[in-house]
Amino acid sequence: MRMITLAMQNVKSSFQNYLAVILSMSFTILILLNFQNVVHSDIFDGLGGANAEYIGVLIQVISVVLCCFMFFFLWYAENVFLTKRKKEMGVYVFMGLTNQNIGMLFLIETVLNGVFALLLGIVSGIVTTHLFQMILLAVSDIAVEISFRFSPAPILITAGIYSVMYLLFAVKGYISIVRSSVLDMVSASRKKEAVIQNRFLLLLKTVFGLGILSVGYYMAVKEGGQEVMGNVLAAVVLVIIGIYLLFGGALPALLLGLAKQKRILYRHERNLWVNQLIFQMKKNYRTYAMTCVLLLCSVTALATGFAMKSRYAGMVHFRNTYTFQFLSNQKELDRVVRPLIEQDNSIAYASEISVLTLDASLFETRFTYGNYALLPWSQVKALAEGVGLEFDFAPPEDDEILKASHMYMLSLITDHSAERVVIDGKTYRQTADTNVPYLGYFQELMSFYIVNDAEYERLLPYGQEWHAYNYRIADLEQLAASADKLKAAVSHTKENDTAMAVVDPESSDIAWIKVLYTICIFMFLVFVLAGGSIVFMKLYNDALEEKERYQILRKIGVSEKTLKKSIVCELFMMYAMPFSVMLPSAYFSVHALEKMMDTNLMPIYAGSVGVILAILLLFYWRSVSAYVKHTGVEEAGRSFCK
Amino acid sequence: MNGKTVVKIKNLMKQYGTGGTLTTVLKGVSLEICAGDFIAVMGPSGSGKTTLLNLLSTIDRPTQGSVIVDGRDVAKLSNKELSKLRRDTIGFVFQDYNLLDTMTLQDNIALPLSLNGVSSGICMEKTMELGRMFGLSEHFSKYPWQLSGGQKQRGAVCRALITEPKILFADEPTGALDSRSTRELLECLKRVNDSGQATILMVTHDAYSASYAKDVWLLNDGQMQCRLSAGASRREFYDRIADMQTSVGGDVPCA
Ligand SMILES: Nc1ncnc2c1ncn2[C@@H]1O[C@H](COP(=O)(O)OP(=O)(O)O)[C@@H](O)[C@H]1O
Ligand SMILES: [Mg+2]
Repeated sequence: MRMITLAMQNVKSSFQNYLAVILSMSFTILILLNFQNVVHSDIFDGLGGANAEYIGVLIQVISVVLCCFMFFFLWYAENVFLTKRKKEMGVYVFMGLTNQNIGMLFLIETVLNGVFALLLGIVSGIVTTHLFQMILLAVSDIAVEISFRFSPAPILITAGIYSVMYLLFAVKGYISIVRSSVLDMVSASRKKEAVIQNRFLLLLKTVFGLGILSVGYYMAVKEGGQEVMGNVLAAVVLVIIGIYLLFGGALPALLLGLAKQKRILYRHERNLWVNQLIFQMKKNYRTYAMTCVLLLCSVTALATGFAMKSRYAGMVHFRNTYTFQFLSNQKELDRVVRPLIEQDNSIAYASEISVLTLDASLFETRFTYGNYALLPWSQVKALAEGVGLEFDFAPPEDDEILKASHMYMLSLITDHSAERVVIDGKTYRQTADTNVPYLGYFQELMSFYIVNDAEYERLLPYGQEWHAYNYRIADLEQLAASADKLKAAVSHTKENDTAMAVVDPESSDIAWIKVLYTICIFMFLVFVLAGGSIVFMKLYNDALEEKERYQILRKIGVSEKTLKKSIVCELFMMYAMPFSVMLPSAYFSVHALEKMMDTNLMPIYAGSVGVILAILLLFYWRSVSAYVKHTGVEEAGRSFCK
Repeated sequence: MNGKTVVKIKNLMKQYGTGGTLTTVLKGVSLEICAGDFIAVMGPSGSGKTTLLNLLSTIDRPTQGSVIVDGRDVAKLSNKELSKLRRDTIGFVFQDYNLLDTMTLQDNIALPLSLNGVSSGICMEKTMELGRMFGLSEHFSKYPWQLSGGQKQRGAVCRALITEPKILFADEPTGALDSRSTRELLECLKRVNDSGQATILMVTHDAYSASYAKDVWLLNDGQMQCRLSAGASRREFYDRIADMQTSVGGDVPCA
């Protein structure tokens, strides 16, 4: 088969050129395979039903996102192959090959490249699974024994997904080659590509882009009640649209404006690279907008991860305020319980407080809760002082109320100012919402409101008064010894009704959040790498297409050094534009998260921006050398040396 | 021979390929170009005109013989010096214009000068001046694909002249133009040459184009076969060139 031989030769000779692209493709395979392997392994089963289930769903969702990435990656990769092949079509046409022949040649080559990437990806994937699982568990701080077992299912699924997508694009390329006319192939000139843009449209895009983006930013950080969720969703959509319009409108408009200022343009190498940039932006602005969105996603993912981690720590801390908690109708329970605990443990601190539970039907609140209870202000103050918790609320007026809630993963309501609580027809103004754990774990089970002592007395007849006893032991390791004794001591008779809660720091029904945190960090890297490689591949492709233009420049006597300088500037802008549009957008996104998760995320913002910068610089550096090589700037220089 | 020597070649030989496929395109060509010259090199297709031009303009290196540009032996120059020489002393015009389609005509013309680090004010002044001279001013903000072939080629000449090169090389500049555009371009070239602004070496296979030059040289079979100088009128010069062209076919030496 002459075709196969020719294709093999081509693959061999262009292998170096395609190496970067092939490596990118195998990298996506490696990652998808690793995730699929986690899905099919049982490493999280040890965490217990709900946790394992959540993590399973989570990883499936991430797999879908990864598939989307793979789709885009393969699309770009295929474009690189196609551009290159189309450039060389003229030669084959003169050799007497038909379009079908050339298409077939392309198909064989592409499949060869694809199979190579697949093998590389699968092998490196298998090699790294163990490492990946170890990192996943270590960063998640989850102790599970992992055994090195490997089932064929993840490999088959990954290979299947990849092959289907890859072949789809290969066939698309084949069709595109078969359909192209001989004239296109031979001249391969794209002189008709208009750089001129409709001014009115550009202006419209600029105005709308900036407007939509600002509204998006505003929506993201706007304080509000229940509508915050809607606001955030709107912000996401608006910011994405805004970014696309910015790249399609404001940035080209800015560059075109610059190109009109000849005094500025005719300095250094600007005349060359600014014009090149305008041309490329016109062609590829969607790619750069997408990169910007990816970078934005990456910062947001990392910030979400850290916020979750910090919230998780907060929630665990909150819950572990006390070790043993009792809610009893007995006034003197402490005298029974305390000695029992002290038999095996020393008590670090303890507290006692009256609780008035009221029927939920008496309450009207924004959200309906299952259990409502009132606390008298003076007792909460005394409790806080005894335990050492913060409490700086003045006694509420008769029509005022304080809420003592628990820590949430994220609170969508960022504006608590106008909250109203109605108890049995009387309206109270909620003056504060605190998540200080006065009653620890109980606060997760009940909605507590603090009223002044007079109001508490007034409402006593409406409900039942209980007494809460809370103990925190010094050495949590010794918890089990006391727990069994205490359980035997509580009774559920009508006269002596006591409920008990043991807070075990080891068992947590929210451990899946830790995995989510790791996955967020991972997604951060995936997003950045995806953004970087998309720009890289785009530039790689451009370089192949720009070859002629650089040949002209060499012909008219522009030196290699000047061309390199111009390339350095042009490519810098290609990376700098998505990065700098990402900066404010990510700031607002992180700020919105800060509000919802009540965590200081600015250090994370700064850190992630730093990491992105470093990674992009790396990509930029690789791009410059690849670009210089593939536009023939460097080759031309060398041939003169001979 | 009115001025200082700009380019001088001696015994230039150029071979392509190796072993069995070895072809000798130039077989010992010598010539001298002086400031103020307007030379047309003619010859049948494949006679080595482009090859000669590439050697003269230092884009390519000869197999044998020396090329001396602006008093300096090209063979002895480093790559960097060569780049500088090309940049500062040589201007190029090609048959297929080679304007960059990513920029406007004005930016194209300004490109070499602006890349040389000349102040932007001077770049602008010079583009305006050349634009006026070549009748291109009103097309400055257009992109190459919005211009006619003649306009593009005049633009390419402007771009080549903006750095005030000591010599302008043009490879079949009228090859792709219709007769009117050809005339316009040649008039322009003649005007800049007459006013002492440019020394021109033009390659062409067309007697009409050649008749605008002051001297016409004929390249055939790898050698410079004969040369003619302009006389009283262009009409008469054209006839002589045409005669020469036909006589070369029959291997008759020049009159
Ligand atoms: N790079 C090259 N390699 C081999 N042969 C070449 C090369 N360039 C030109 N030639 C050969 O040299 C001869 C002269 O070419 P050229 O100078 O382009 O002629 P002209 O411009 O007069 O038409 C031709 O026979 C051509 O095939
Ligand atoms: Mg030629």
